[in-house]
Amino acid sequence: MTAPRPSSPRTGPGRRAVLLGGGLAAGAAGASAVWALTGPSAAAPVPAAPGIPPDDDLMREHGVLKRVLLCYREMTRRIQAGDRVAAPDLHDAALIIHDYIEGFHEGLEEGYVFPRLRREPAVAGTVTTLLVQHARGRVLTQFILANATARDLASPGTSGRLAAAMQAFVRMYEPHEAREDTVIFPAFRRVVPAQELADFGQHFADLERQQFGRDEFGAMVARVAGIEQHLGIYELGQFTPQVGPFSPSA
Amino acid sequence: MGRSRKAGAGAVLALAVVSGCASTTTSQPAAGGTSGAKVTVTTRSLPEVGTVLVTGKGYALYMFVPDRRRAVTCTGVCAGTWPPLMLPSGATLAAGPGVKAALLGSDPAPGGGRVVTYNGWPLYTYTGDVEPGQATGQAIDLNGGPWYVLCPSGAPLEPGP
Repeated sequence: MTAPRPSSPRTGPGRRAVLLGGGLAAGAAGASAVWALTGPSAAAPVPAAPGIPPDDDLMREHGVLKRVLLCYREMTRRIQAGDRVAAPDLHDAALIIHDYIEGFHEGLEEGYVFPRLRREPAVAGTVTTLLVQHARGRVLTQFILANATARDLASPGTSGRLAAAMQAFVRMYEPHEAREDTVIFPAFRRVVPAQELADFGQHFADLERQQFGRDEFGAMVARVAGIEQHLGIYELGQFTPQVGPFSPSA
Repeated sequence: MGRSRKAGAGAVLALAVVSGCASTTTSQPAAGGTSGAKVTVTTRSLPEVGTVLVTGKGYALYMFVPDRRRAVTCTGVCAGTWPPLMLPSGATLAAGPGVKAALLGSDPAPGGGRVVTYNGWPLYTYTGDVEPGQATGQAIDLNGGPWYVLCPSGAPLEPGP
Protein backbone atom coordinates (compact mmCIF):
# COMPACT_ATOMS: atom_id res chain seq x y z
CA MET A 1 0.00 0.00 0.00
CA THR A 2 1.32 3.39 -0.87
CA ALA A 3 0.93 6.07 1.72
CA PRO A 4 -0.62 9.29 0.47
CA ARG A 5 1.71 12.08 -0.49
CA PRO A 6 -0.40 15.14 -0.07
CA SER A 7 1.48 17.86 -1.86
CA SER A 8 4.49 18.94 -3.77
CA PRO A 9 7.31 20.86 -2.10
CA ARG A 10 6.12 24.18 -0.87
CA THR A 11 8.43 26.92 -1.82
CA GLY A 12 6.95 30.35 -1.39
CA PRO A 13 4.99 30.74 -4.58
CA GLY A 14 5.02 27.03 -5.12
CA ARG A 15 3.22 26.52 -1.89
CA ARG A 16 0.60 28.92 -3.08
CA ALA A 17 0.42 27.01 -6.28
CA VAL A 18 -0.26 23.95 -4.21
CA LEU A 19 -2.93 25.57 -2.11
CA LEU A 20 -4.50 27.65 -4.79
CA GLY A 21 -3.92 25.40 -7.69
CA GLY A 22 -4.67 21.97 -6.36
CA GLY A 23 -1.09 20.82 -6.58
CA LEU A 24 -1.59 18.24 -3.89
CA ALA A 25 -2.05 15.71 -6.63
CA ALA A 26 1.62 16.02 -7.51
CA GLY A 27 2.03 12.40 -6.54
CA ALA A 28 5.12 10.50 -5.64
CA ALA A 29 7.40 12.68 -7.77
CA GLY A 30 6.90 15.59 -5.44
CA ALA A 31 7.68 15.02 -1.80
CA SER A 32 5.12 16.85 0.23
CA ALA A 33 6.16 19.42 2.74
CA VAL A 34 3.49 18.09 5.04
CA TRP A 35 4.50 14.55 4.36
CA ALA A 36 8.19 15.32 4.60
CA LEU A 37 7.70 17.04 7.91
CA THR A 38 5.76 14.26 9.52
CA GLY A 39 9.06 12.64 10.41
CA PRO A 40 10.46 9.20 9.96
CA SER A 41 7.73 7.38 11.84
CA ALA A 42 5.01 8.68 9.58
CA ALA A 43 7.14 8.09 6.53
CA ALA A 44 7.48 4.43 7.37
CA PRO A 45 5.38 1.96 5.42
CA VAL A 46 1.81 2.12 6.59
CA PRO A 47 0.42 -1.24 7.62
CA ALA A 48 -2.46 -2.43 5.51
CA ALA A 49 -5.54 -2.17 7.64
CA PRO A 50 -9.08 -1.17 6.90
CA GLY A 51 -9.31 2.25 8.48
CA ILE A 52 -12.11 4.74 8.70
CA PRO A 53 -12.53 6.54 5.35
CA PRO A 54 -11.03 10.02 5.71
CA ASP A 55 -14.31 11.82 5.07
CA ASP A 56 -16.06 9.67 7.66
CA ASP A 57 -13.25 10.43 10.09
CA LEU A 58 -13.61 14.16 9.50
CA MET A 59 -17.39 13.97 9.88
CA ARG A 60 -17.21 12.20 13.23
CA GLU A 61 -14.85 14.96 14.36
CA HIS A 62 -17.57 17.33 13.25
CA GLY A 63 -19.79 15.51 15.71
CA VAL A 64 -17.50 16.63 18.51
CA LEU A 65 -17.64 20.17 17.14
CA LYS A 66 -21.46 20.05 17.02
CA ARG A 67 -21.60 19.03 20.66
CA VAL A 68 -19.30 21.88 21.70
CA LEU A 69 -21.50 24.25 19.72
CA LEU A 70 -24.45 22.96 21.73
CA CYS A 71 -22.50 23.71 24.92
CA TYR A 72 -21.64 27.20 23.64
CA ARG A 73 -25.29 27.80 22.84
CA GLU A 74 -26.35 26.80 26.35
CA MET A 75 -23.59 28.89 27.96
CA THR A 76 -24.59 31.89 25.86
CA ARG A 77 -28.22 31.46 26.93
CA ARG A 78 -27.15 31.32 30.56
CA ILE A 79 -24.99 34.42 30.34
CA GLN A 80 -27.75 36.36 28.63
CA ALA A 81 -30.24 35.18 31.26
CA GLY A 82 -27.92 36.18 34.10
CA ASP A 83 -27.38 32.55 35.10
CA ARG A 84 -24.10 31.06 36.20
CA VAL A 85 -21.58 29.51 33.82
CA ALA A 86 -18.71 27.61 35.40
CA ALA A 87 -15.40 28.96 34.09
CA PRO A 88 -13.73 25.52 33.93
CA ASP A 89 -16.51 24.25 31.69
CA LEU A 90 -16.20 27.19 29.32
CA HIS A 91 -12.42 26.91 29.28
CA ASP A 92 -12.51 23.17 28.62
CA ALA A 93 -15.06 23.57 25.82
CA ALA A 94 -12.86 26.18 24.15
CA LEU A 95 -9.79 24.02 24.69
CA ILE A 96 -11.44 21.11 22.87
CA ILE A 97 -12.02 23.45 19.97
CA HIS A 98 -8.48 24.82 20.15
CA ASP A 99 -6.61 21.55 20.47
CA TYR A 100 -8.73 19.04 18.62
CA ILE A 101 -10.76 20.99 16.07
CA GLU A 102 -8.47 23.89 15.20
CA GLY A 103 -5.14 22.24 15.99
CA PHE A 104 -5.85 18.88 14.42
CA HIS A 105 -9.07 18.48 12.43
CA GLU A 106 -8.67 21.72 10.50
CA GLY A 107 -5.01 20.93 9.85
CA LEU A 108 -6.11 17.73 8.10
CA GLU A 109 -8.57 19.70 6.01
CA GLU A 110 -6.03 22.40 5.19
CA GLY A 111 -3.15 20.04 4.46
CA TYR A 112 -4.90 17.21 2.69
CA VAL A 113 -8.49 17.92 1.68
CA PHE A 114 -8.75 21.54 0.54
CA PRO A 115 -5.67 21.53 -1.70
CA ARG A 116 -7.20 18.71 -3.76
CA LEU A 117 -10.25 20.86 -4.44
CA ARG A 118 -8.73 24.20 -5.35
CA ARG A 119 -8.96 23.43 -9.05
CA GLU A 120 -12.53 22.23 -8.87
CA PRO A 121 -14.56 25.19 -10.13
CA ALA A 122 -17.68 24.09 -8.29
CA VAL A 123 -16.05 24.26 -4.87
CA ALA A 124 -12.92 26.43 -5.18
CA GLY A 125 -14.68 29.54 -3.89
CA THR A 126 -16.17 27.61 -1.01
CA VAL A 127 -12.74 26.34 -0.02
CA THR A 128 -11.43 29.90 0.18
CA THR A 129 -14.35 30.89 2.40
CA LEU A 130 -13.76 27.89 4.63
CA LEU A 131 -10.09 28.85 5.06
CA VAL A 132 -11.05 32.39 6.02
CA GLN A 133 -13.56 31.00 8.51
CA HIS A 134 -10.96 28.75 10.09
CA ALA A 135 -8.79 31.81 10.66
CA ARG A 136 -11.65 33.84 12.13
CA GLY A 137 -12.69 30.98 14.37
CA ARG A 138 -9.19 30.78 15.83
CA VAL A 139 -9.34 34.44 16.79
CA LEU A 140 -12.67 33.91 18.55
CA THR A 141 -11.35 30.85 20.35
CA GLN A 142 -8.32 32.73 21.64
CA PHE A 143 -10.60 35.41 23.00
CA ILE A 144 -12.80 32.84 24.72
CA LEU A 145 -9.82 30.97 26.18
CA ALA A 146 -8.23 34.15 27.45
CA ASN A 147 -11.41 35.28 29.19
CA ALA A 148 -12.82 32.01 30.48
CA THR A 149 -12.27 32.87 34.12
CA ALA A 150 -14.65 33.27 37.03
CA ARG A 151 -13.67 36.92 37.26
CA ASP A 152 -14.36 37.60 33.58
CA LEU A 153 -17.64 35.72 33.68
CA ALA A 154 -18.70 37.86 36.65
CA SER A 155 -17.99 41.03 34.72
CA PRO A 156 -21.06 42.13 32.73
CA GLY A 157 -18.94 43.65 30.01
CA THR A 158 -16.60 40.71 29.52
CA SER A 159 -19.29 38.07 29.91
CA GLY A 160 -21.31 39.90 27.28
CA ARG A 161 -18.35 39.80 24.91
CA LEU A 162 -17.86 36.12 25.67
CA ALA A 163 -21.49 35.46 24.81
CA ALA A 164 -21.10 37.45 21.61
CA ALA A 165 -17.95 35.51 20.70
CA MET A 166 -19.64 32.18 21.30
CA GLN A 167 -22.70 33.30 19.34
CA ALA A 168 -20.54 34.34 16.42
CA PHE A 169 -18.64 31.07 16.56
CA VAL A 170 -21.83 28.99 16.54
CA ARG A 171 -23.37 31.12 13.81
CA MET A 172 -20.33 30.58 11.59
CA TYR A 173 -19.57 26.94 12.30
CA GLU A 174 -23.06 25.49 11.90
CA PRO A 175 -23.25 26.32 8.20
CA HIS A 176 -19.48 25.80 7.87
CA GLU A 177 -19.48 22.18 8.92
CA ALA A 178 -22.77 21.47 7.15
CA ARG A 179 -21.25 22.71 3.90
CA GLU A 180 -18.17 20.58 4.42
CA ASP A 181 -20.23 17.47 5.14
CA THR A 182 -22.55 17.89 2.17
CA VAL A 183 -20.36 19.52 -0.47
CA ILE A 184 -16.64 19.44 0.32
CA PHE A 185 -16.19 15.91 1.60
CA PRO A 186 -18.32 14.37 -1.18
CA ALA A 187 -16.26 16.35 -3.71
CA PHE A 188 -13.06 15.09 -2.08
CA ARG A 189 -14.35 11.55 -2.38
CA ARG A 190 -15.12 12.13 -6.05
CA VAL A 191 -11.69 13.44 -7.01
CA VAL A 192 -9.51 11.08 -4.98
CA PRO A 193 -9.06 7.54 -6.32
CA ALA A 194 -10.41 4.82 -4.05
CA GLN A 195 -7.07 3.33 -3.04
CA GLU A 196 -5.60 6.73 -2.29
CA LEU A 197 -8.69 7.55 -0.26
CA ALA A 198 -8.13 4.44 1.83
CA ASP A 199 -4.48 5.41 2.31
CA PHE A 200 -5.56 8.84 3.48
CA GLY A 201 -7.81 7.23 6.07
CA GLN A 202 -4.95 5.24 7.49
CA HIS A 203 -2.64 8.24 7.38
CA PHE A 204 -5.14 10.41 9.25
CA ALA A 205 -5.31 7.77 11.97
CA ASP A 206 -1.51 7.66 12.12
CA LEU A 207 -1.33 11.45 12.42
CA GLU A 208 -3.83 11.37 15.26
CA ARG A 209 -1.74 8.86 17.15
CA GLN A 210 1.41 10.83 16.34
CA GLN A 211 -0.07 14.07 17.67
CA PHE A 212 -2.00 12.80 20.67
CA GLY A 213 -0.41 9.44 21.37
CA ARG A 214 -3.75 7.65 21.18
CA ASP A 215 -7.15 7.61 19.54
CA GLU A 216 -8.14 11.05 20.70
CA PHE A 217 -11.67 10.92 19.36
CA GLY A 218 -12.95 8.77 22.22
CA ALA A 219 -11.26 11.00 24.78
CA MET A 220 -12.81 14.10 23.23
CA VAL A 221 -16.29 12.59 23.23
CA ALA A 222 -15.90 11.81 26.93
CA ARG A 223 -14.73 15.36 27.69
CA VAL A 224 -17.56 17.05 25.86
CA ALA A 225 -20.06 14.67 27.48
CA GLY A 226 -18.76 15.76 30.86
CA ILE A 227 -19.33 19.41 30.01
CA GLU A 228 -22.83 18.59 28.78
CA GLN A 229 -23.55 16.87 32.08
CA HIS A 230 -22.42 19.90 34.05
CA LEU A 231 -24.69 22.06 31.91
CA GLY A 232 -27.63 19.71 32.25
CA ILE A 233 -27.89 19.07 28.53
CA TYR A 234 -26.47 15.57 28.36
CA GLU A 235 -29.68 13.54 28.48
CA LEU A 236 -30.75 13.21 24.88
CA GLY A 237 -34.39 12.59 25.76
CA GLN A 238 -34.83 16.12 27.02
CA PHE A 239 -34.68 17.37 23.45
CA THR A 240 -37.60 15.20 22.31
CA PRO A 241 -40.61 17.46 21.75
CA GLN A 242 -44.20 16.81 22.78
CA VAL A 243 -46.12 16.42 19.54
CA GLY A 244 -49.67 16.42 20.88
CA PRO A 245 -50.63 19.76 19.38
CA PHE A 246 -49.29 18.59 16.01
CA SER A 247 -50.74 15.09 15.93
CA PRO A 248 -53.24 14.22 13.20
CA SER A 249 -56.04 13.83 15.76
CA ALA A 250 -55.46 17.20 17.37
CA MET B 1 0.82 19.16 20.74
CA GLY B 2 0.98 21.17 23.87
CA ARG B 3 -2.15 22.31 25.55
CA SER B 4 -2.77 25.99 25.52
CA ARG B 5 -2.49 27.98 28.67
CA LYS B 6 -4.65 30.91 29.52
CA ALA B 7 -1.72 33.19 30.09
CA GLY B 8 -0.28 32.41 26.73
CA ALA B 9 -3.57 32.89 24.97
CA GLY B 10 -4.09 36.16 26.77
CA ALA B 11 -0.69 37.41 25.81
CA VAL B 12 -1.15 36.75 22.15
CA LEU B 13 -4.54 38.39 22.16
CA ALA B 14 -3.02 41.74 22.84
CA LEU B 15 -3.07 42.61 19.18
CA ALA B 16 -4.07 46.18 19.88
CA VAL B 17 -0.69 47.00 21.34
CA VAL B 18 1.25 45.78 18.35
CA SER B 19 2.84 48.82 16.87
CA GLY B 20 4.76 47.30 14.01
CA CYS B 21 8.40 46.52 13.49
CA ALA B 22 10.83 48.93 15.11
CA SER B 23 12.88 49.65 12.06
CA THR B 24 11.41 49.49 8.63
CA THR B 25 13.63 49.83 5.64
CA THR B 26 10.96 49.96 3.00
CA SER B 27 7.29 50.72 2.85
CA GLN B 28 6.83 49.73 -0.73
CA PRO B 29 5.29 46.45 -1.64
CA ALA B 30 8.17 44.26 -2.72
CA ALA B 31 8.06 42.89 -6.20
CA GLY B 32 10.25 39.90 -5.54
CA GLY B 33 9.37 36.50 -6.87
CA THR B 34 10.87 33.28 -7.99
CA SER B 35 12.79 33.12 -11.19
CA GLY B 36 14.27 29.83 -12.16
CA ALA B 37 15.54 28.06 -9.09
CA LYS B 38 15.33 30.98 -6.71
CA VAL B 39 13.25 31.39 -3.59
CA THR B 40 12.78 35.03 -2.78
CA VAL B 41 12.11 36.47 0.65
CA THR B 42 11.19 40.11 0.58
CA THR B 43 9.34 42.74 2.62
CA ARG B 44 5.97 44.37 2.39
CA SER B 45 3.97 46.78 4.49
CA LEU B 46 0.85 44.98 5.73
CA PRO B 47 -2.15 46.42 7.55
CA GLU B 48 -1.83 46.41 11.36
CA VAL B 49 1.66 44.89 11.41
CA GLY B 50 3.75 47.22 9.28
CA THR B 51 6.68 46.11 7.16
CA VAL B 52 7.35 42.42 7.58
CA LEU B 53 8.85 39.51 5.69
CA VAL B 54 6.78 38.04 2.89
CA THR B 55 7.25 35.49 0.13
CA GLY B 56 8.01 36.59 -3.38
CA LYS B 57 4.29 36.64 -4.05
CA GLY B 58 3.52 38.74 -1.02
CA TYR B 59 2.28 36.16 1.49
CA ALA B 60 3.25 36.88 5.08
CA LEU B 61 5.98 34.74 6.62
CA TYR B 62 5.74 33.61 10.23
CA MET B 63 8.01 32.21 12.90
CA PHE B 64 6.97 29.62 15.47
CA VAL B 65 8.15 30.25 19.03
CA PRO B 66 8.75 26.56 19.90
CA ASP B 67 11.29 26.38 17.05
CA ARG B 68 13.57 28.48 19.30
CA ARG B 69 15.73 29.41 16.31
CA ARG B 70 17.08 25.88 16.35
CA ALA B 71 14.91 23.48 14.38
CA VAL B 72 11.73 22.98 12.41
CA THR B 73 9.22 21.68 14.96
CA CYS B 74 5.96 22.30 13.13
CA THR B 75 5.47 18.93 11.49
CA GLY B 76 2.60 16.63 10.62
CA VAL B 77 -0.83 18.22 10.87
CA CYS B 78 0.73 21.49 12.00
CA ALA B 79 2.42 21.84 8.62
CA GLY B 80 -0.98 21.50 6.97
CA THR B 81 -2.02 24.77 8.57
CA TRP B 82 1.44 26.40 8.50
CA PRO B 83 3.21 25.21 5.34
CA PRO B 84 6.95 25.78 5.67
CA LEU B 85 8.78 27.80 3.07
CA MET B 86 10.76 25.05 1.41
CA LEU B 87 14.07 25.47 -0.37
CA PRO B 88 14.02 22.95 -3.20
CA SER B 89 17.19 21.04 -3.89
CA GLY B 90 19.44 23.13 -6.10
CA ALA B 91 17.50 26.33 -5.56
CA THR B 92 19.10 29.48 -4.22
CA LEU B 93 17.83 32.13 -1.84
CA ALA B 94 17.26 35.69 -2.98
CA ALA B 95 16.87 38.68 -0.69
CA GLY B 96 14.33 41.25 -1.84
CA PRO B 97 14.33 44.93 -0.87
CA GLY B 98 14.60 45.37 2.88
CA VAL B 99 15.76 41.84 3.54
CA LYS B 100 19.22 41.28 5.01
CA ALA B 101 20.76 38.58 2.87
CA ALA B 102 23.13 37.62 5.68
CA LEU B 103 20.17 36.57 7.81
CA LEU B 104 18.81 34.14 5.23
CA GLY B 105 19.60 30.47 5.59
CA SER B 106 17.97 27.08 5.72
CA ASP B 107 17.40 24.25 8.18
CA PRO B 108 16.86 20.59 7.45
CA ALA B 109 13.25 19.46 7.52
CA PRO B 110 12.70 16.41 9.72
CA GLY B 111 11.52 14.29 6.81
CA GLY B 112 13.87 15.59 4.14
CA GLY B 113 14.47 18.78 2.22
CA ARG B 114 15.26 22.17 3.69
CA VAL B 115 13.19 24.98 5.13
CA VAL B 116 14.17 28.61 4.60
CA THR B 117 15.24 30.45 7.77
CA TYR B 118 15.72 34.10 8.67
CA ASN B 119 17.86 35.03 11.63
CA GLY B 120 17.68 31.36 12.55
CA TRP B 121 13.89 31.19 12.52
CA PRO B 122 12.34 28.62 10.15
CA LEU B 123 9.77 30.41 8.00
CA TYR B 124 6.17 29.36 7.45
CA THR B 125 3.12 30.67 5.63
CA TYR B 126 -0.45 30.44 6.94
CA THR B 127 -3.43 28.91 5.20
CA GLY B 128 -5.68 31.58 6.67
CA ASP B 129 -3.94 34.15 4.47
CA VAL B 130 -5.91 33.49 1.32
CA GLU B 131 -4.55 36.52 -0.51
CA PRO B 132 -1.20 38.30 -0.57
CA GLY B 133 -0.90 41.18 1.84
CA GLN B 134 -2.69 39.56 4.76
CA ALA B 135 -1.31 38.59 8.17
CA THR B 136 -4.29 36.86 9.77
CA GLY B 137 -2.05 34.44 11.62
CA GLN B 138 -0.24 37.16 13.56
CA ALA B 139 -0.14 36.36 17.30
CA ILE B 140 -2.26 33.25 16.89
CA ASP B 141 -1.55 30.56 19.49
CA LEU B 142 -1.99 27.25 17.70
CA ASN B 143 -0.35 23.85 17.31
CA GLY B 144 1.70 24.21 20.45
CA GLY B 145 2.73 27.83 20.57
CA PRO B 146 2.35 31.36 19.27
CA TRP B 147 3.10 32.51 15.74
CA TYR B 148 4.45 35.92 14.77
CA VAL B 149 5.39 37.71 11.61
CA LEU B 150 9.03 38.71 11.36
CA CYS B 151 10.46 42.19 11.10
CA PRO B 152 13.22 42.80 8.55
CA SER B 153 15.60 43.00 11.53
CA GLY B 154 14.91 39.32 12.18
CA ALA B 155 12.93 39.99 15.35
CA PRO B 156 9.46 38.51 15.78
CA LEU B 157 6.70 41.09 16.01
CA GLU B 158 5.50 40.14 19.48
CA PRO B 159 2.76 42.08 21.24
CA GLY B 160 3.97 44.59 23.75
CA PRO B 161 3.44 44.23 27.51
